[in-house]
Amino acid sequence: MSIKIRMRGKSKGGVAEIKALIKHKMESGARMNKATGKPYPAEYIDMVHVTVNGNQAVDAQWSGAVSANPYMAVKVKANAGDTVVVKLKDNTGATGEETLVLK
Amino acid sequence: MKRRSFLKGTLATGAAAVAVNAGLLTPSTVLAADWNKGAFAAKSMDDALNAVYGSTSVAASGDIKLVAPAIAENGAVTPITVDASGVSGVESIAIFASKNPMPLACEYAFGASAEGYVSTRIKMGETQNVVAVVKAGGKLIKAEQEVKVTIGGCGG
Repeated sequence: MSIKIRMRGKSKGGVAEIKALIKHKMESGARMNKATGKPYPAEYIDMVHVTVNGNQAVDAQWSGAVSANPYMAVKVKANAGDTVVVKLKDNTGATGEETLVLK
Repeated sequence: MKRRSFLKGTLATGAAAVAVNAGLLTPSTVLAADWNKGAFAAKSMDDALNAVYGSTSVAASGDIKLVAPAIAENGAVTPITVDASGVSGVESIAIFASKNPMPLACEYAFGASAEGYVSTRIKMGETQNVVAVVKAGGKLIKAEQEVKVTIGGCGG
């Protein structure tokens, strides 16, 4: 199952703010299922990579303490026409990828 | 095992294996590649700091702009913005919630083509301080702000 990502970004004076909205439940593994008395199994995004034209820009590590359906905004040095790619994976091995060509 | 769930399972693992083979998940060579298990499992601020940066001596700095709500109505979704673009040579930003069961929420490492800026949303269990630690030019600096949480966002 691939993780869905929605991305937006616009370059302004050589710096682009990249905003990403990710669809993921971000289950930390600590929340109890009251019906069974056992915790819901952990399922959260742990690695996020942002590249600009193939060069690593931001490497993020997340824990289950990032909110469900995470929002992330970062700023990268990029101009119009540059390609920004966000790749991520969760602790169960599911992955997601989204590409954005800056305007 | 039900046939349907069995099929679903094989398809999912199959897809993950293909992704690895295609190099989609190749860890970055420039920046930290492995998930820092020790840091995320640490149960106190100091332990977590030590695990991430190998030091607990962090100087407070006015150069970091930390934007967090004074009162978070829903602790499960606390918007946090850390703007350290006024600091030169930012290598990494980590966001901690000091009283969460595991304080480290997330850590961002920056390459040459990134600015020291990050905005995200984190879960907070109770009223506590949000601490943004920035590593710039080999030094650690931080900004701190208390966030009052009316409904906790951890466990439940």
